[in-house]
Amino acid sequence: MTLLSDIGRFLLMLKGMFKKLENRQMYWKELMRQCTEIGFGSLGIVTIISVFIGAVSTIQTAYQLVSPLIPISTIAQIVRDTVILEFAPTLVCVVLAGVAGSRIASELGNMRVSEQIDALEIMGINTKTYLILPKIIAAMLMIPLLVIIAMVLGIWGGRLAGTAAGIISPNLYDKGLASDFLPYNVFFALTKSYVFAFILSSIPAFYGYHVRGGALEIGKASTKAVVVSCVLILFADYILSALLL
Amino acid sequence: MIEVKNIQKKFGDKVVIEEVSAQMEAGRCNLIIGASGSGKTVLMKCMVGLLNPDQGSIFYHGNNFTTMEPEAKTLIRKEIGMLFQGSALFDSLTVEENIMFPLNMFTQDTTGEKLKRVNAVLDRVNLAGVNKKYPAELSGGMKKRVALARAIVLNPKYLFCDEPNSGLDPQTSLVIDKLIRELTLEYQITTVVNTHDMNSVMEIGDYILYMYQGKKEWEGTRKEIIFSKNQRLNDFIFASEFLRDAKDMRMLEETGKIPNDRNMDQMIRP
Repeated sequence: MTLLSDIGRFLLMLKGMFKKLENRQMYWKELMRQCTEIGFGSLGIVTIISVFIGAVSTIQTAYQLVSPLIPISTIAQIVRDTVILEFAPTLVCVVLAGVAGSRIASELGNMRVSEQIDALEIMGINTKTYLILPKIIAAMLMIPLLVIIAMVLGIWGGRLAGTAAGIISPNLYDKGLASDFLPYNVFFALTKSYVFAFILSSIPAFYGYHVRGGALEIGKASTKAVVVSCVLILFADYILSALLL
Repeated sequence: MIEVKNIQKKFGDKVVIEEVSAQMEAGRCNLIIGASGSGKTVLMKCMVGLLNPDQGSIFYHGNNFTTMEPEAKTLIRKEIGMLFQGSALFDSLTVEENIMFPLNMFTQDTTGEKLKRVNAVLDRVNLAGVNKKYPAELSGGMKKRVALARAIVLNPKYLFCDEPNSGLDPQTSLVIDKLIRELTLEYQITTVVNTHDMNSVMEIGDYILYMYQGKKEWEGTRKEIIFSKNQRLNDFIFASEFLRDAKDMRMLEETGKIPNDRNMDQMIRP
């Protein structure tokens, strides 16, 4: 019953976002602020994760490829496809659900508890449009860009680790990267990143916006938002893979 | 003028407000008083549209706010300023940006004009020069005054104050009360104040609505409250010996006599 009621309230929240804007300039400013916070605010963690994921992928793939019949450049192919298909979009978005998602939930939760949302409502501002819509749009603009950066850095991290450990030469790695490349994989990864961006921004926004109580409830809402976002991201990952691959 | 007619509000099975009616005139401080949990905040939230009453109507200058289309409600809300109990200032914005926020959202004024207006209202609440400070850098009283400045920056017709004195020392409370009263008279605003501060009742209560367990128990002016025979009201307002003495003193000033059940010996103690 609670689940159905939550789904209903979530859909009403989404419907409520699409109202006439009071002042386009203010909404644009808020969108830019959210783009900066979600995009640049998460760039550091995305860089670190991507480089290390690529590096670890190279080393573990080399460890498992023991047959002399398999060319060494296959390592680069495997790293490329794993990073593009799964690690960059899914793992980065799961981490972003923690970083950006908890920030969205706690920001809105704090605004709710300290009556800032009520203050905006009293001013005659549609708070769903002003507070939630820019966050979702900003996530859908910035997260695919972060995923592209994660792809590049992941592949580069693999090259760096492969070369440093003496597993594969840079030339062979580059050769492996270029062979049998399917642009569709990038399209698939970006499709996933749009879906995940929507999940990791709208779910925390829902939990944050509907917080009731005090500081303790903000923490609970934030945790719940991250857990639900992560589960939904993994579920969506499975569905999209089954449908599109 | 705001008219409240037979408002009822339930949360689940619990009736929080029951058949409350009141008439709040412009240019007066209309106080809603009552103990914690008596329904005064819920009544105020129903009045500003943050909660929908289950029954009854609220009229703003004769227009039924409860049955209005959302667009029409938004227009009324633009004429409302509200001072929240916790000030509700936007943490990430400076004082200047907080006050300028409604101007940015709803006016086409130039930055210079907006800044001039911000400085004028800051000056009005005796806070000139704090433009660049963040809410976290202000004291409780200063936050309330900034929130009051933000509430009046668009020249509202209606001003709602939810427990404006909570958490403030008596002297700062008096400053806030004085400001609310001055602004009400200056701009002929219909001001509604939710309070259980007895100083406010006696200083600014032009019209007082006393709520008891969700119902209207008593209404009148601050002069009438002195002579009220309502036991619940008297128990609430004049809860301490000190306040009972103050009441008797005021009665003595007004009528030259004190209640039969008390005498001067009781009143004036060492």
